[in-house]
Amino acid sequence: MRYGAWAALLIGSLAHLGVIAATQQPQASTQEGVQPQGNANRSAAERAAATRTFLGLGATPDRAAAARGAPLFARICGFCHGQTARGATGPSLITSDRVLEDDHGEHLSVFLRKGSPDKGMPAFAAMEDKQLTDIAEFLHLQVEEVANRGTYQVLNIVVGNAAKGKIYVETRCMSCHNEKDFAHLASRVRSPEQLQRYWVWPARDGKITADVKTPDGTISGRLEGISDFRVTVVDAAGATRTIDRKPGIDVQIHDSLAAHQKLVKTLANGDMHDVTAYLETLK
Amino acid sequence: MKLAAGLCVAVVGASLAASPDRPAVSVNPGDIEKPPVTSWPTFNGDYTGQRFSSLTQISPGNLNQLAVQWVYRITDVGAQRGAPVPIVKCTPLLASGVLYFTIPDHVWALDPRTGKQLWRYDWVDHGGHLIGQRGVAIWNSTLFFLTPDNWLIALDANTGKELWKKNYADARKQYFSTAAPLVVRNHVIVGVGGDAMDMPGFLDSFDPETGDLQWTWWSTPRKGDPALKTWPNEAASEHGGGMTWMPGTYDPGLNLLYWPTGNTNPVFAGQGRPGANLWAESIVALDADTGKLKWYFQVSPHDTHDFDNTTAPILFDRAVEEKPRKLVAQAARNGFFITLDRVTGKHLVVRPYVPLDYSSGLSAEGEPIPIPDKDPSVGGSINIVNASNWPAPAYSPKSGLFYVNAVEGKAIYYLTDNSDKPSGYGGTGAGIGHAVRVLKAIDPLTGNIVWEHAYPNLSEPSTTTGPSILTTASNLVISGDDQKDLVIFAADSGKILWHHELNANESGGIITYQLDGKQYIVFGAGDSLYALSLAP
Repeated sequence: MRYGAWAALLIGSLAHLGVIAATQQPQASTQEGVQPQGNANRSAAERAAATRTFLGLGATPDRAAAARGAPLFARICGFCHGQTARGATGPSLITSDRVLEDDHGEHLSVFLRKGSPDKGMPAFAAMEDKQLTDIAEFLHLQVEEVANRGTYQVLNIVVGNAAKGKIYVETRCMSCHNEKDFAHLASRVRSPEQLQRYWVWPARDGKITADVKTPDGTISGRLEGISDFRVTVVDAAGATRTIDRKPGIDVQIHDSLAAHQKLVKTLANGDMHDVTAYLETLK
Repeated sequence: MKLAAGLCVAVVGASLAASPDRPAVSVNPGDIEKPPVTSWPTFNGDYTGQRFSSLTQISPGNLNQLAVQWVYRITDVGAQRGAPVPIVKCTPLLASGVLYFTIPDHVWALDPRTGKQLWRYDWVDHGGHLIGQRGVAIWNSTLFFLTPDNWLIALDANTGKELWKKNYADARKQYFSTAAPLVVRNHVIVGVGGDAMDMPGFLDSFDPETGDLQWTWWSTPRKGDPALKTWPNEAASEHGGGMTWMPGTYDPGLNLLYWPTGNTNPVFAGQGRPGANLWAESIVALDADTGKLKWYFQVSPHDTHDFDNTTAPILFDRAVEEKPRKLVAQAARNGFFITLDRVTGKHLVVRPYVPLDYSSGLSAEGEPIPIPDKDPSVGGSINIVNASNWPAPAYSPKSGLFYVNAVEGKAIYYLTDNSDKPSGYGGTGAGIGHAVRVLKAIDPLTGNIVWEHAYPNLSEPSTTTGPSILTTASNLVISGDDQKDLVIFAADSGKILWHHELNANESGGIITYQLDGKQYIVFGAGDSLYALSLAP
């Protein structure tokens, strides 16, 4: 749930102000699943911090200390607990009670000095305090990178076959598009993930128009909003008109993205990966 | 949390619920077994989960007189972690003429005639997630409330005074609570949430008088249990999720609880947990006195899409091939509509109620078989968004139809952790394309969609505040769109009969009851609680 925090902020303000946000919907949020639509317009650090607050995660790990603790952990602990503390011959420490009850090494240091010899966990009595708290911070950072979904990053999503993707584009897209539409496409977006999102489902804002037939004539323009009870269009002169959908009012909607909506419903993952790989070559 | 605590001084007992002209609040747990008329004494109104009312005063013929009688707006709580204004996501209770409602960390008692506050209870949490609060439960004169940091609080229902409290889960392990407890006889059944950290789900039963723990049921199997074969090892099972964050339903005759269990952990990254992963994402039937598992039906075996199976399992009795049957039905978040025999757990109907293409068929037990290619992947994989969520569905014994506000839409799911030991979520999902909210009336004996209504909307439906449903014997289905309209449909045909624009989307459960001979409809929308009845 990378956008959970603002998701809630936004929903809150929506409910309060009655603003309709077309694009900034939340993504997966605890208990409430993956949400329709998402939009990354926060920095990674902001997103991580907001998600941390929203989830009520504990103390923020000290990244500098964790960086010092990493080689220590790898050398002393990694053999049993794994390099990222997710377990090897010894248990995973990500969900360890001892790790989770600790904030900044105040409890863990005491434990590490004594160890748990009966369970095969040696005592590290000779280590300096700072080394022990650095190891503790390293563990807290491992927990952070699991529990705080605001820190998640996609991996290298370019996994498809560009040559096959080129064929797909040439055979499936050119009845609506021309080469110019695709020129330098990859350099117009920030990341392959954005590229993939953008070509499958381009921004829809302003691409839907409507003709509203009323007894007094037809009002046509950009569709701004529609419900069972109201329709709002902005006409060519820029005037916003909201019409109650009473009997006798007929609304015709023209969605220039209808073909993409169909694509979303039918696109095979392999084709999506291939086209993204091809478009990624169009810098 | 700190902000909220700073802004609101704990004010208890502005005035007492009981006064010379107001009888003391008391609800005999046996009364919850009866269909609600002059009260709404439990989360779903009664134990069936039907959210059906026999009241007919408000009917298609007089909806033009239906009007807002009062609005209680929360003005003095302030921002809560993650939400600048509070959102009422609870189902209110009406007991002995007192109306109770909640948001995270706060309980109100109101006079239902005027909407005036009788008392308020404030909790200062130390951690936990404030995403929602579904309401309180009542046992005689004791009210039960769950806090974000997993305290079961017993309150005097007349005064709001704290009687005792009990902590049942550790917020540092990312357990948090949003549920309404369920009172069954001499049990307070408490579920828990929290899937950030690969913790096991559980259900606790407490003594309503003393707060003593009576039993615990774990959502995943432990050593020696044959169900462990659905996990690669004990450690994976012990960290396999299956939270219990929505109230279940209950059959007093069979003395069985029907509890929906939440998503499997790690959430999107399933490669570390090959197998079906019982009893996450199931409907489980538990003995209410012992917590022992009687049967289970796993709705999403080996889920990798956060199909968190927490939508209400609704109980109803119908004749099937001329034989009376006790049934349970659910419009699951994974897009399948399920009807089971609630004595045995055997399936009658398992059919998609939204378009989906991630399943290759059903197992011999009737459980959907997922297609591995639809799992989240590094390059991205398209699948459906949750087809339903926590907002309440309903069932009308009058129309024989099951009502759910579904969402038809798609998302790209990415695997962000492709290691052999993923942890936490291990992936993300982001909606793609236009998603539509569709109210569906489903025949629960066939899974056929009898009617449906797609709410027109340019924006994407939010599932964080989706509208709940109430249905009545006067052929009403009461719900709402995502554009602040409360909407009433004809239960048999889906025709829109009436609508009213609110200040926010309907955001909690809708209840109805008769008070002083007058039928009320009460629900939360944004930061306000609304009460409607017919204008005199």
